[in-house]
Amino acid sequence: MSTQLRRSPDPKASVDSAAPSMQWWLVLAGTVLLIAGSFLSWSFTPAILGNVTITGLPAPLQIFTIVIGVLGLFLLLLRMGRFHHISTLLDSARGLRALGVTATAYLVLVVLVIALQAPGLANADPGVFVCLVGAGLMVAGSLRMPSDPTVDPISVHLPSWAEILVIVALMALVLFGAAYALGQEDGTVFSLFLLFLSGVVVALQRAGLFGWIGVIAARNRRVITLGAFVVAFLFPLTQDGSDANMSIATQVLIFATTALGLNIVVGLAGLLDLGYIAFLGAGAYVSAMMSHSAFANIGWKPPFLVVVLIAATVSSVLGLIIGSPTLRVSGDYLAIVTLAFGEIFRLTVNNLDGNNGPDLTNGPNGIPGVPELEFGSFKFGDTHEIFGITLGRFANYYFLLLVVAALIITIFTRLNNSRIGRGWIAIREDEKAAEAMGVNVFGLKLFAFAGGAFLAGMAGSIKAHQDVSVTPDQYIFLESAFLLAAIVLGGMGTVAGVLVGATVLKLLPEKLRFVADYRLLTFGLLLVLMMRFRPEGLVPSGRRALEFHEDDERLAAKVEESHIEKVTPTGGRT
Amino acid sequence: MSAAAIHDDAAMAQASSGAVVLQATGVTMRFGGLTAVNNVNLTVSEGEIVGLIGPNGAGKTTFFNCLTGMYKPTEGQVTFQGTVLPPKPRAVVQAGMARTFQNIRLFANMTALENVMVGRYCRTSAMALTSILRGPKYRHEEEATRERAKQLLDFVGLSNTAEHLARNLPYGDQRRLEIARALATDPKLILLDEPTAGMNPKETEQAKELIFRIRDLGLAVVVIEHDMRFIFSLCDRVLCLVRGETLVEGSPVEVQRDPRVIEAYIGTPDEDEVDDEAAKEEHS
Amino acid sequence: MDLFLQQLLNGLTLGSLYALIAVGYTVVYGIVQLINFAHGEVFMIGAFGALATWTVLFKGQTGLWVLPFMVLGAVLVSVLVAVVMERVAYRPLRHAPRLAPLITAIGISVFLQEAVRLWYPGAKSALPFPQIDLVTGAAFQVGGITVRRSALFVIGSLVVCAVVLWFFINRTKMGRGMLAVSQDPDTARLMGINVDRIIMVAFAIGAALAGIAGVAQGLQNSNIDFYMGFLAGLKAFTAAVLGGIGNIYGAVVGGLVLGIVEAMAVQFIPGTFGGSPWKDVWAFALLIIVLVFRPQGIMGARVVDRA
Repeated sequence: MSTQLRRSPDPKASVDSAAPSMQWWLVLAGTVLLIAGSFLSWSFTPAILGNVTITGLPAPLQIFTIVIGVLGLFLLLLRMGRFHHISTLLDSARGLRALGVTATAYLVLVVLVIALQAPGLANADPGVFVCLVGAGLMVAGSLRMPSDPTVDPISVHLPSWAEILVIVALMALVLFGAAYALGQEDGTVFSLFLLFLSGVVVALQRAGLFGWIGVIAARNRRVITLGAFVVAFLFPLTQDGSDANMSIATQVLIFATTALGLNIVVGLAGLLDLGYIAFLGAGAYVSAMMSHSAFANIGWKPPFLVVVLIAATVSSVLGLIIGSPTLRVSGDYLAIVTLAFGEIFRLTVNNLDGNNGPDLTNGPNGIPGVPELEFGSFKFGDTHEIFGITLGRFANYYFLLLVVAALIITIFTRLNNSRIGRGWIAIREDEKAAEAMGVNVFGLKLFAFAGGAFLAGMAGSIKAHQDVSVTPDQYIFLESAFLLAAIVLGGMGTVAGVLVGATVLKLLPEKLRFVADYRLLTFGLLLVLMMRFRPEGLVPSGRRALEFHEDDERLAAKVEESHIEKVTPTGGRT
Repeated sequence: MSAAAIHDDAAMAQASSGAVVLQATGVTMRFGGLTAVNNVNLTVSEGEIVGLIGPNGAGKTTFFNCLTGMYKPTEGQVTFQGTVLPPKPRAVVQAGMARTFQNIRLFANMTALENVMVGRYCRTSAMALTSILRGPKYRHEEEATRERAKQLLDFVGLSNTAEHLARNLPYGDQRRLEIARALATDPKLILLDEPTAGMNPKETEQAKELIFRIRDLGLAVVVIEHDMRFIFSLCDRVLCLVRGETLVEGSPVEVQRDPRVIEAYIGTPDEDEVDDEAAKEEHS
Repeated sequence: MDLFLQQLLNGLTLGSLYALIAVGYTVVYGIVQLINFAHGEVFMIGAFGALATWTVLFKGQTGLWVLPFMVLGAVLVSVLVAVVMERVAYRPLRHAPRLAPLITAIGISVFLQEAVRLWYPGAKSALPFPQIDLVTGAAFQVGGITVRRSALFVIGSLVVCAVVLWFFINRTKMGRGMLAVSQDPDTARLMGINVDRIIMVAFAIGAALAGIAGVAQGLQNSNIDFYMGFLAGLKAFTAAVLGGIGNIYGAVVGGLVLGIVEAMAVQFIPGTFGGSPWKDVWAFALLIIVLVFRPQGIMGARVVDRA
C-alpha cells in the first residue's frame, strides 16, 4: 500500500507550456507593472515610509514590491515549463494568487498610510497607483488560473550541493531579514515589512515550497542546525554595538531557552505544566541569593559555575516535588496542580521578607543589584571589540545564552530520538498500553518534570545576572502562559517551532510599541485561534499534528511518506 | 466427570510438557458487589497453548487484567516462574509475561517499527545521560534494539511495513503488530486477547500458524477467543469460564463435548444475568 | 470563642462566594469533562455587568430596588459571555485532545481580562462598586461578633441559588436531561436529548451564579477590578475539586469548607507563616493535597483518571 503514495517523477507537460493562456498574460502584465511602478516615486513627502519619493532608486519598501514581482515572474516562467528540474516542485497558480493578494493588501496599506500620515491622498504619486493596478491584475489573472495537480515536492531531487546552497541562502535571508526588521525604528515600516514577509511566506507555502524545504531539511539536518547556529552567532556582529536590539535578542534567547525546557515537558512527555515559570524563578532566586548583591541572604558565595549547578539542582528538586502527583493525577488535574504550585512559589518568594517567615527573598522588592557575571578576567558588563566590531554588554550575555540554548537543543533532540523519547511518545499515545508494555510511565513523567526544571533553573541563574535584579512579579502565572503560548504557536515537540514562537511572542510587542497595550489581548485571542484552526502550531512535528487531527487521512499518509523518505533517501522504493 | 477430576487430569498432562511458567491460584476480582472473577485457577507450562473461552461477560478479560497486573485481584495470587508477581503491569512485563489487547491498543501515530521498539523498552537500559552523550555503548544498544525490532516484524510477517504508521495498517496487520510488540519484551508467556476478532478465515489461519510458531520458540501462550473451531484446533488445553467461575478445564475434545459448555453458549435459562454482567464488566 | 465564631462567619461568607462560582466549574465539568478555566473571568464580567447597569440606568440611586436590576444585568452579561464562549471556542474542540480546550481556556481568560481592562471606561484601575441601602450599611453586632450586611447578602444568595438549582435539576425536564447527558452523552443523544443545548444550559447556569457572585463580591469589597477573576476562579476551582468535581452539592460544601479553612488559617496558624499573606498558600496547598490524595473530593465524584 505504500507504493501508491508516491508519484513517479516523470517530467510533466506544463500547464501553460503550449500556448500561454489569457490569464498568464494578465498576470505577466501585472508583475511588470508592479516592478515598473516600484521604480517610480510613490509620494511627495520624504518624511514618511522611509522616503519613497525618488524615481529610479527604490527605497526598501519599494524593493519589497519588486521582490514580489520577481517571484511572480519566476512562478510564471515555471508555469511555462522552464526549469524542468523543479517543475513538479511548486504549484504556481496558488503561489501567484497569494502573491497578488499580498501585493494588493500591501499597497492598499501604503496608500492608506500616505493618506493618513502625509496627510492627504494628494501626496500620493502615480507610482504607487501603477503598482496597485499591477497587483490588481495579478489577482485578477491568477484567480481563474487552473491549479497544478501534479505537484509533488518529495519527488524532486536536486544534487546535494544545490540543496545545501538553498539552505545557506535561506539562512542568509533569515539573518538579513532579522537584522533589517530589528533595525526598523518606524512602526509603520516594520508592520509593512511584516506584512510583506508573511505574505511571501504564505505564497511560497501555498505554492508548496515549504513541503520541499521540509524534505531537504530532513535530508540535511546537520547543515541546517549548524547553519542556524552560525546565523545566530553572527547576529550580534550585524548590530555594531547597539544595545537596544541586543537586549531584545537576549530576552528572546532566555525566553526561547526556557520554552525549550518546557517543551520537553509539554511537547515530548505530553504533560501540561502551568507553573513552569516557577523553575526559572527558582534558578534566578538561588543565583541572586548566592551572588554578591547587598541584599543576598546566603553567606556562601561559590563561583558561578557552581551556582548554576546548585540553582539547576534546586529547580529540579522542585520539579520532582511538582511532578510527584503525576503518579496519581493526570490531564487537566495535573495542569491545575502545577498552576497551584506556581502560585505557591510566587506567593512564597513574595512573603519571605523576615516579617512573614524567614528573610530569604527580600519580599516584594526582590533582590536588586545582582552583579555582572565574570569568567576569569572576562567581565560581562564591559564592551569588547572583535574585528573592529563593538560588542556590548548584552552581546556578551547573548553569546553565553547561545551556548546554553545549543546545549538544551542538543539535549532536547537527543532525548527525543532515544529510548526515553519513544517511551514519552508511547505514554502520550496510550498510557495504559505503554505501562503494559513495560514502559516506566511514572519514572519518565517525573524525569520530564525534573529535567525540564533543571534546564529552566540553569537559564534562570543566568537571567538573574543579566536582569541585574530578581523580583516576584517577573514570575507570575501569565509568564507561564506566555511560555506555553510560545510552544503552542510554534509547534509542540519541535525545536524550530519553539524558536519561532518565542521570537514572535517576544519580538512583536517590542517592535510594535503602538499596539503595546493590546499585546495581551492579541495574545489571548491568538491562543484561542491557534487551538481552533492550527493546534499543531506553525512548525509542527508530523506526529503531533496527527495527534490533533486524528481523522485526517491525507496528513497520515504524508507523515508516513516522510518516514519512508528518511529511510530510503534516494527514493529507491518502487 | 467432575470439574475437579478434569483439572487433575490436566495437571497430569502438563507435567510431561515442561516446567510450570504461570500459576494463578484462587484469583478473585470483585467490583463493589459484583464478582467478575471468582476463584479461578490456571497453570501454564512451557511450550503450551492454553485457550480461555466463555460467553461474553464471563470475566475472561478481567482475568487477563488480574494476571497482568492491570487489576489488583481482590483475592488470590499469581506466581510466575516460582515468584509471586506484584500487581504492577511493568513488573509483570519485566518478569516475562506480555499481552495484547482485545480492542487493539497500538501507539497509533508511531510507525510499526517504533511500536516494536517501545516493546524493547524494558529490556534496554539507556538512561538520560547516556542518551544525551551517545557513547558507543548507547549506539550499540540502539542498533540492537532496531535490529531485534526488525527481526520481530519479519517474524510476524510485517517486514514491508516497518515505516508505516500503525494507524494506517490494515486491521489484521495491526493485530500482528501488537503481537510483535508483545514479543519484543522477550516474554516467556504471551497472553493474546481475541487475536482473531474481526479476521477473515484466511487471516485466522495465518494467525493460527503464527501462534504455533510462537509456541515453537519455547513460549507459553494463553489465548482468549470466541472462535471455537480456532480454539479447539489450536490449544493443548482449554479453560471455560462462565460467570467468573471455571466451568470446565481439559483437553479441547473434552471441553467440546461437555454439555455444560454447550449449554453456557447456546441455551440458558438465566441469560439476562449474563448480559447484566457483561454490561458491568464493560463499565469497569 | 468570639474570635472563632467571627472567623467562622467570615469563612462562611468567603465560602459562599467560592461556592457560587464553584458550581459553574462543576456543572460544566460534570457534563463535558472540561475545566472551564475562564470561568473566573465570567464572574469578573458579571461584576462589571452590574456596575455598568447601575452606571447607565441608575447612577446615583442607592435604593434596594436597584439591586434586582443590577443582579439581572450581571446575570445577563455573564450568561451572554459564557454562552458565546462555549459556542465559539469550546464547541469546535469537543473532540480535540484535552490539551486544546485547556489552552483555549487560558486564551479566553487573558482575552476577557484585557477586553475589560482596555474597553471598560476607567477599568485600568479598581472601580468603586455602588453602595446599596440595607445591603452595605453599618454592620450589626451580635454578641461579640460583627455581622456585615453584605455577608448576609452573600450567604443568602447561596441559599436561594442552591434551592433554585435543586428544583431545576430534580424537577424539570431540562434538569433531568442534564443528568442524562452527564451519565452518557451518546446515549442521551440517541434518546432524543439535544446535547448541544444541554451543554449550553450548563454554561449558562454556571455563568448566572457567577454573575450573582460578582455582584456579591462588589458589595462585599466595595470595589472591583479586571483581575479579580483569576484568583477567585482558582479558589473556586479548588472548592469544586474539594467537594468532588461534577458534584453540584459537593461544590457548595467544598466552597464553604475552603472559606472556613482560609479564615481559620489567617487567625489560628501561629508564628510567621500565619496571617493573611499566607492564606492563599494554604488554600493552594489544600488543593494539591486533595488532588493528590483524594481526587474524588469530599463528597465523591466521577472517576478522575482522565488523560
